[in-house]
This record gives sequence, C-alpha cells and structure tokens, in this order.
Amino acid sequence: MDIMIKILYAVISVIVATVYGLTLGGVVQKIYARVHGRFGPPVWQPFIDIIKTHGKRVSISHGIMFYLGPVFRFAGGLGTYLFIPVIYGSVVFANFSMAGDLLLVMYFIFFGQLGMALGAGEGGHPYSPLGIARGLSQMSTFELPFSLAVIAVAIQYDSLNITTIVAAQQGSILNWTLFTNPFAVIAAMISLLGMNMHSPFSLVLAPQEIPIGPPVEMNSSFLAILQTNRGLFTAAKLVLFMNLFFGGATNLLIMIVKTFFIYLVSVIVGAAFPRFRPEQSFRFFLKWPTIIGIISIIFIVYF
Amino acid sequence: MVNPIYIIILSLAAGFLLSIFDKSGRKLSLIVFYSVLTFNVFVIADWFYRFTVLGVSTLTINTAGFSAPLSINLQLGIQEAFVLLFANLTGLLAAIYLIKKFKESNISSLVLYLILIMGVNGLVMTRDLFNMFVFLEILSISTFALTILTKNKKSLSAGFKYMIAGGVASTFFLLGVVFVYYFTGNLNLDFINPSDFTNYGLIAIFLLSIAVFIELKPFPANGWALDVYESVNSGITSVIAVVNSAAIIFVFYKIMPLLPQNLLNIFGIAGVVTFFFSNLMGLKQTNAKRLLGYSSIGQMGLLVASIIYTIHSPNKLIYLIVGGFFTNHLIAKAGLFWITGIVKKEKIKDWGILKENKFLLILFGLLLFALSGIPPFPGFWAKWEFIKLLVHGKMFFVVGGILLGSLFEIVFLFRWFTIAVKGEVPSENPKISFEFSKYFSTTIFVGITLTISVVIMKYFYDFNWFQFLPLIAVVVLYFLDFIPSKIKGFLSLIAVGIYGYFLYPFESNLQLFFGIIFIVGSAINIIATLNRKNINKGFYGFLLMMIFSFGNLLIAKSYLEFFLAWEFMTISSFVLILRGKKAQKASLLYIIFSTAGAYLMMIGFSLAPNLTSNSALIIAISNINLPILVTVLLAIGFMIKSGSLGVHIWLPEAHAEAESDVSPFISAILLKAGVFGLFMVGISYINHVPAFDMFYWIGWIGVLTAIVGAFLASFQEDAKRLLAYSSMSQVGYIVASIAILSHLGWLSALYLSFNHMMFKSALFIAIAGVYYRTHTRTMYEMGGLIKKMPLSFISVLIGIIAVSGVPPLSGFGAKWLIYSSFIERGWYLQAGVLFFASAVSFLYLYRLIHTIFLGQLKYEHQNVKEAPIWFLIPQVIFMVGIMAISMYPNLIIQPLNSIVGNYFNSSIIVDGYNITSSLGNWNGNMIMFVTMGIFVVPLIILVLLNGRTQTVKQFNIVYAAERPESPQTTHIAYNMFAHYRKALGGWGKPRIWNFWHETNEWAHSLSGLFRQIYTGNGQTYILHIILYIVVIYFIMGV
Repeated sequence: MDIMIKILYAVISVIVATVYGLTLGGVVQKIYARVHGRFGPPVWQPFIDIIKTHGKRVSISHGIMFYLGPVFRFAGGLGTYLFIPVIYGSVVFANFSMAGDLLLVMYFIFFGQLGMALGAGEGGHPYSPLGIARGLSQMSTFELPFSLAVIAVAIQYDSLNITTIVAAQQGSILNWTLFTNPFAVIAAMISLLGMNMHSPFSLVLAPQEIPIGPPVEMNSSFLAILQTNRGLFTAAKLVLFMNLFFGGATNLLIMIVKTFFIYLVSVIVGAAFPRFRPEQSFRFFLKWPTIIGIISIIFIVYF
Repeated sequence: MVNPIYIIILSLAAGFLLSIFDKSGRKLSLIVFYSVLTFNVFVIADWFYRFTVLGVSTLTINTAGFSAPLSINLQLGIQEAFVLLFANLTGLLAAIYLIKKFKESNISSLVLYLILIMGVNGLVMTRDLFNMFVFLEILSISTFALTILTKNKKSLSAGFKYMIAGGVASTFFLLGVVFVYYFTGNLNLDFINPSDFTNYGLIAIFLLSIAVFIELKPFPANGWALDVYESVNSGITSVIAVVNSAAIIFVFYKIMPLLPQNLLNIFGIAGVVTFFFSNLMGLKQTNAKRLLGYSSIGQMGLLVASIIYTIHSPNKLIYLIVGGFFTNHLIAKAGLFWITGIVKKEKIKDWGILKENKFLLILFGLLLFALSGIPPFPGFWAKWEFIKLLVHGKMFFVVGGILLGSLFEIVFLFRWFTIAVKGEVPSENPKISFEFSKYFSTTIFVGITLTISVVIMKYFYDFNWFQFLPLIAVVVLYFLDFIPSKIKGFLSLIAVGIYGYFLYPFESNLQLFFGIIFIVGSAINIIATLNRKNINKGFYGFLLMMIFSFGNLLIAKSYLEFFLAWEFMTISSFVLILRGKKAQKASLLYIIFSTAGAYLMMIGFSLAPNLTSNSALIIAISNINLPILVTVLLAIGFMIKSGSLGVHIWLPEAHAEAESDVSPFISAILLKAGVFGLFMVGISYINHVPAFDMFYWIGWIGVLTAIVGAFLASFQEDAKRLLAYSSMSQVGYIVASIAILSHLGWLSALYLSFNHMMFKSALFIAIAGVYYRTHTRTMYEMGGLIKKMPLSFISVLIGIIAVSGVPPLSGFGAKWLIYSSFIERGWYLQAGVLFFASAVSFLYLYRLIHTIFLGQLKYEHQNVKEAPIWFLIPQVIFMVGIMAISMYPNLIIQPLNSIVGNYFNSSIIVDGYNITSSLGNWNGNMIMFVTMGIFVVPLIILVLLNGRTQTVKQFNIVYAAERPESPQTTHIAYNMFAHYRKALGGWGKPRIWNFWHETNEWAHSLSGLFRQIYTGNGQTYILHIILYIVVIYFIMGV
C-alpha cells in the first residue's frame, strides 16, 4: 500500500512538473518572439503542438530501436525528475530521491540522451548522427565544469545527498551556494547554458545547418513524446540547479519563481548571442568555465 | 675409466693417420673420424658422471714421468669435465652437421677438425702456461684453416683477419708467459703465487690476461670475429662460436686467480660494455649470421662479467649463473647457427620461409627463446640470480647495462622471430631442403637445453608440478594437435575446470576474487574459441599456458614463483597475439614493453626483503616493508601490463591485431594481471607507508590514462582499436581507484575490475561475431546491422550501457563508488577529470554502436547472418551476469566489502540493497525497479495510442529535397568527431607515440653509428686491438 501511495505522489509530481515545464517553454517562446519583434505564439502553444503531432494520420517507424528511442528519452526525463527531491520537506514532491544521490541524477540524465541517440541513429537520416555527434561532444565539455561545480558543492556540504544539500542552505538567503561559493555557481550556470542548448550553444538542433538534428525522423506520437519530455526534462534540470545552488524550494510557488529566473539566464544569453561553431563551443567550455570550476574547488578547500 | 690424456693422444694420432686411412676410401676415414669424436664424448661423459654423481675427487695427470712443475700436468675436475663434455659434444654434433661437407672436401679438413678438438681439450685441461700457448696456437691455426674451407672471397678475407688478430693476441700471450716466468720462475698455474706480481710484475699478468681477453672478443676490438661469423660455413661458425669460445673462456677462468682485483673489475665492466654495445649494434643488423655474431659476442661479454662478479658466491650459485649462461648461450648459439645453415637465407627478412616448415620453426623458436633468457631456459634462471647478486652488491650500473642490453637483444631476436612466423615467403628458393644430419644435431641440442631447463626447475628450485603446468599444457597439446579444434577447445575447457578445482581453496578472498576473474572469466571466453574451424595448431596449448599462468600468479609463494608465472603469462600471450593476421609489429611491441616491465620487476624483486611467511605472495607481502624504490619499480612493471598512460602504446596494437577471439582474453583478463600486481604492491604499502606518497602520482597517472584513453578511443575507425583504448581508459579508472588506498577506493577498483571483465568480454566477442560475418573491423564500412544481428546488438547495447555508467546497469555502481571514494579521499581535481573521462566515453560508445549497428545498411551486408552460436553463448552469460549484479548489487558488493575489510575499515553501510557511504547512497535494486517502471509505462502508452505505426524500408527518410543515393554517402560514420579533434588542437597530437618512435629511431641511429667502427678492413681491426690494449692498460693505472 505504501508503494502505491508513493507511486500516486510520483504521478502527481510528474504531471505538475510537465505542465509547468511546457508552460515555461511557451513563455520563453513568447519572450524570444518579443525580443525578435514578433508577436509570438500563445503561451499554451506547446500543449497544442503535442496534441497536434500526436493526431497525425501517418506514423512511421524505422525499427525497434527507433520505436524505443523516444521512450528511452522520456524515461530519462522521468527518471531524472523522479530521483530529485523537488520541494524541500514535501512528501508529495520527494519523489524516489531515496534511491540514490546527486550522482544518480547526473548519470540518469545520460539515460535519455543515450536512448534517444540510439533511436535517432536507427532512423538512418544523416542529420541525426551529425546532431548527436555534436551533442555528445558538447555534453562532454560542459559536463567538466558542471562536475567541478558539483564536486565543490559536495565538498562544501560534505554530502552528495540532494536533500542534505538543500537543508544546509536553509535559514537565510546568504546560506545559498550562490553566496557561499559563487565560483561553483558561475561554472555550473555556464554549463547550464550548454545543457539548455540555447544560443550560442544550440548546436544539436541547429535548424539552419542540420535541420533539427537528432529528432529529424521523429514524427507523430514519437515526436509528441519528445515534446512532452522537453517540458519535463527542462523542469527537472532547473529544479536540480535550484536545489544545488539556490537554496531549493519549500513550496511550489518558490520553486516556480526560482526556476523561472534560472531559466531566464539561458534565455537572455540565448537571445543575445549568435550560434557558435562546434569547435568554438567545445573550446569555450573547456576554457573559462573549467577554470572557474577549478577555482571553485580551490576556493572551497582553502578559504 | 679411461685416462683423459687418451683423448688428446687419440685425436692427435687419428689426425695424422687419417690421410693414410683415406687412401682406402673416405668411408673408412669418416668412420675413424666420428669414432674418435664419439669416443671423446663418452670418456668425458663418464668422467663427468663420476665427478658429479659418484663424487670422485679431481684428477691430476702428470706427463713425461715427472711431476709438476717440472713437467706439464693436466687436470680434470668437475669444471673441466663440464666444459669438455660440452665442447666435445658440440664438436661431435657439429661434425655430424657437416657430414655432407666432410664427405666431399679434402681429407685435410677432417684432420684439421680433429686437431682443433684436440687443441680445445688440451687447452682446457692443461695447467701449464706455455703449454696453454701451444694449444692456443694449435687452435688458432686449425680454426683459420677450417674457415678458409669455404672458398669464397669473403671467408678468405675473414679468415685472414682472424689469423692476424689471433696472432697479435698470441704474441701478447707469449710475452706475458715470458714475463711470468721472469717474475715467478714458474709457469705452472698450481705453483704460481699471485703475490709475486707486485709493481712491475703486474705487466706480466696484464699481458697474459689481455691476450686471453682479446680472444674473448671484447667491444670494440672484435670486428675480426664478426666477419668470421658472417662469412664462414654455419657448421664451422658454430664450432668457432661455441667450442673455441668455451675453451677460451675456461682459460680465462683458469688464470683469473692470478689477476689483481682492479684488473678483474675492469674486465667485468668491459664484459658488460661488450654485452651492451653488441646488442645495441645488433639492432640494425639484417644479416642473420652477423646478427648471431653480435649476439654471440655480447653473450661472451656477459659470461665474462658473470664469472668475475660471482667469484665470491657459493658454488651452487656459480654453477647456476655461470653454468646457466654458459650452456644457454652456447647451446642456443650453436643451434641457431646450424639453423641458419639449414635455412640458407642471409637476410632475416627472407626468414618468412620458416613458416612453411613447422618443425624447424619450433626448433628455431625454442632456441631463440632460450637465447632471450625466457623461462624455463637456463638463461632465465641465470639472469634472475645474477641480477639478484648484482643488486645486492649495489652494482646498479652493471645491472642497468645488462638489462638494457638484454632488452636490445629481445628487440632484434623477437623481430627475427616475428618475421619467421609472419613474414613473407621469399620468391627465390621458397623451399628448405631437408638434410637429416643437420636436423639431427639441432634437435639434440634443443632436447638438451630443455632437459637442463627441467633439471634446474625440478632439482635446483624444487618447483612442484603446479609451476610446471603451463609448460605441460603446451607440450600435451602439442601432441594432441592433430585433433580437430572444437574437441581441443572442449578439452581445454575441462582442463581449465579441473585446474580451477585444484586451485580452489585459496588462502584469502582477494585471491578467490581474482581467481574468478582469471579462471571463470577465461573459461567463459574459451566458449567463443569453439567457433574455430579446422585444426588451429598451437592455439589451445598457449591459451592454456596463459590461463594456468594467471592462476599460478595467484598462488605464487615467492618472488621467483610469481615472476616465473608472470613470464609464462607474457610469453604465452605474446604467441597468442602473434597468431593474428597482421600482428607482426603489434606482438613485437607487446613483447618489448612487457620485457622492459619484467626487467624492472626483476630488479624490484631482487631488492625486496626476504619473505617471512609461507603464505601466498599476496598475503605474505603484507608483512614486508618494501623500500620505496622497489615499490616504484614493481608499480611501473605492473602498470606497463595494465597499459597506463605513457607505456600504453603496445595496448591498442596488441588488442586490435590479435585474433578476434583472443582479444577478449587480452583485454578483459590479461590487463587484470597488472591490476592484481598493483594490489600486491598496495597491500605492502598500506602496512608500511613510506614518506614519499608514490600512490598519489600513480593515482594521477591512472586518471590521465582514463581521459586520454577515452579521447583516443573516440577518434578510432577500427572497432577493436576503439575497444582497446576503451580498455586502457577503464583500467585507468581501476589503477586510480587502487591508488586511493581507502576502503571505498579498493572496493571501486575490485567492482570495476569484475564489471570490466564482463562487459569488455561481451563487447569484444560481439565485435568478433561482427567481424566473422562482415570481415571488416573498420566501422564506417558497416552500418545498419541491427536488423541482421539483433542479438549482437543487444549485447553491445548492454555492454556500452555498463561501460558508460548509465543507471540502472552495473556500470553506475562503479561510477558511484569511484566518485564517492575520490571525493571522500579529497582527490577533487582527479574526480573532475574522471567525470570528464566518463562523459567523453559516451562519444566512443555511441560511435561503436551507431556506426556498426545503426544508420544505413550497406548493400554488401544485405545477407549477413547473426553471429555464430559459439559467440552468442558467452555473450549471453556475461549479459546475465551484468543484469544480475545490476539488479542485485549485493551479490558483489557484500563479498567485496568483506574482502576489502581485511585491509581497511569498512566505510560503507550495506542495508538491504541500499549502500550508504559518508557522502550519499545508492540503491541499485530500487533504481532498477523505478527505471523499469518509468520505461514500461510510457512504452505501454505509446503502443496503445500509436497502433497505426508502419515500418518503412531503408532510405525511406525525410531527405532535404534530395534522394539518398547510397548507404555509403548517407551513413555518417567516418571521422565522426572531427570537430572535437579540431577543438583539441595541439592537444590531439600523438606525443607519446612520437616519443617512443623517436626513442626507437635514436636507438637504431646509435646502433648504426657504432656499427661504423667495423670497417671490414683488417688493419683497422688490428688498430682496434692495439688501442684497446693500451686503453685498458691506462685504465688499470699501473
């Protein structure tokens, strides 16, 4: 019975996060449009897109792995989200965070990416592996500063347990990692730019070069799943960053506010900069954010 | 019991009478000739038996009715008997070898041959200096006359140079004799008092000894000898290189008691210098006989050095070291010279011809291995004990010279061997003619060296049958080689099972753990070899040898046993790697690096304190306080085997070029031997922590290995090279985790070792299956094989997920343990680099699976079938294993926790399936179920909502206003991460490879430079000799 309640809570948690994530996506599209001087789609456009793509008459598959790719991707989003305690002190939003710690979340992010990459690979379209090769390469580079920041956080709180990390930041705004170890936060936030794949790091989907990259062959329900996941996964990443660096959230409203502003960083940068070439992006991550990440560790160990 | 003087008398008499016998036909003279030689051997053998077994005391023979010093006396003791037995036997076998020549040539050659043998016998037995001179002259003249039997320009000029050099040496010898008489009033060795040679007296002994030393061909005054070796008939060369050398080295030994210590030291160093430079110069040599000449001269230098440096050791040790070098070198050298005469190919590049003649190839291989000092041959034991002795005497320069020289020797000898096994058969005269007499002599010598090897192992070291097992495996399977491969495979599987059963009760659980990796892992991997068709000669023998050596490593109770098993492992894996189609260079690289590592370990073990308990080494070593130098040397040795950064360049070559069902053994199991060794070093280290924290640096090397390996793997086009670099990277993680020296660190290392064994075996076997079907390892030539080989795809999929560390599979456990242990230990930057390496690993893992299985199927692979069942069975076993420990991590974490608990206090709490460290927790079981839940639910929803899905054919893709033309242009695979390479810029240069390449070039250039002193001009050679004598004289500082 216990487990059933747990699952029920998880379902609620996931639905909330997905709806929030998709809405956030709509808001961001709107913001971009206004920056570009367009009117922009309505905020609920992502929901419409999902329903529309799902309603397509034709659905095409290229094989079993292709079929499973979006499932892997969505499971990756779900898992990433479900292994994070979303709201500090909340039972409903604790999810399955007792199964593992921060390392689990970091590695579960790869689960969806790898599965999707395999599915897209079987699609047989040349743009898919091109996008994936770019994505994997870029991922490896922003993972370096991010992991340095995570290590700094682990040193600081002497724990990899996300709940413990959030607990340690409670009390005052000055307890946030943002203020106790700003270098780690800077390094991680730059990595987040890469993770969110907004400009200048939008190498993977790059519409003008490799028209939307990996999901190019995805259609109908497959695409719908990916679109749903995009909302959930974005929410999951933002919640993770909020927990690690911005004091977590004690209720849903605080979570929404904090994650919105975290996302806004990517959006502002994305609206302001043109796209990098792949090697420029890789070099960028291996240079400045990495150095800042190393500084963050030195800072936390010696100061 | 025949008086040994009859040997001399009979040879002399027969020698003079032969020309008369020859009048009644060559048959009679040949009978007399061979009878005399055989008679000699029997007489000496009889005496040798008396001295060794019956314990008869040394025999002195007076001549002319007076006792010494009035007359000349001969002496026959155990040493003389040994040398003479050897010399006469070689003389006889060489004569048999030459029988065809003797039938045809002038009778004088038989006479000269007998005189030569007589000279040798006299030289060894006589105690009188002047008499020695006489015999030396007899020897030189008869040798000279025999060299010019081969009537060509080269041998004539070589013989002349030999004559001149011998003449110069004799002159000095005679002068020495004169002075000796002047200072001591005596010429009999038994009556000369070494203390008479003070002040000016030293000149006497100097002249005497330098003359003999010149005859021993020291570098650089030895050009004359090289020319003889190169140009004279192989049978005669073998006599010069072996019989004459044996006699002269014994002369040197006889006058040694007269020499002052400082002169002995100089000769010792000169011996080592000769050994070093001869082998260095051998590097560039391409002429087979001249190569043997270099090796021969080098070995003589080593022999001289060994006699000088062991002089104060116990007799038993002297017999082993000097006797070992003596027999090993001379038997191997004679045998190899004979083989050059059979093969009749001057250039070693033409020796590919040998692979047409398996029997001769085996003889050649055995002799070559013997010459290289590989166990079980006498040279190995001699080298081991000799190095130990030198190391205890703190003569590190000598040790360095000898081992570096030996390494050069390994390079050219094994290069030759790999050419013989893999080289091209030359187009001219592609057949080796069969001559019974030649094969006979060679075979006898191989038999003798093998017998001596067994005698040493059995009676000197008292090894039990377990240590013999690797050898027994090769021999037994050699005789079973006619059986079809499959049956041999099953037999091998059974043999491994039985071996495991005997091995089983281990003293510690750490051994048990590695036992499972080594033995069980090997057994499962053997299944893949059952796919082999036909006979596969020699494969299973060496495979079993390797597996048994793995096991013997675990239970070795002394440094020597460990090292022996290690060497057996190296040599068997070398032979296995060499079986690959294009493995010539790869296997050579492997044996060179392995040998270098083994030599470092040899020094390390020699320096290590004696063991105090009778347990297995891995347990006993915990009480031993290894000096820091030993730790460093051993660690480097083991890290070479595990392919750490800097010394990894052998690894990708060997993995990639080995046969595809051998690669899993090399990668999944052999590399773990290095890991096992590092654990051994660590166990001693944690109990006796020295001031210098060496493992900190090992940790960094491990970490850098992980990242560099991952990058290199990402840039490969060859699937097996990719996996090889992946192994390098993964073992880097293991090495780094060992270096942490904490509970969690070692737990990670063991966990990852086990995991790596499973997923890397599965991956290599899967690729073996793909290669078997598609006949290519180049990944961009494949693609879309998922539809044709779905099971292999699943295996690779599970494999790469386990490598990458993506939950829920077992790889995540490894990652969790590793990062937790690094952060706990305070190695933050290292942890950061490992994160990076882990992220980079996705690049190559995706590349592996995508370019082979996904994307567009090539037209030529339209009809490819699933991999054969024998490849699938082990993959399924490993997959089940991976899934089991993923779902129930306790299966492995619990035992590992208790194993590591023997060395460190446990730092984790295992509660059900939840494992808690000081930093966080990991519940593998729960993760698995959650993952299954979140995977299955969307899948079901998708299937329910999306019933209209239709599968389309290849090329039915959304292509930007174009029609995809061919799979080749549509499949993105070649140079997949070009942009990353560009981003890395100068960091992507192969610096380490370049470094080793340059080292190789430099060594060869130096070799070429020194070789130039041998101009081929007799006058220059004489100048060398004179200058050499002058220089030695000045160094002596009289």
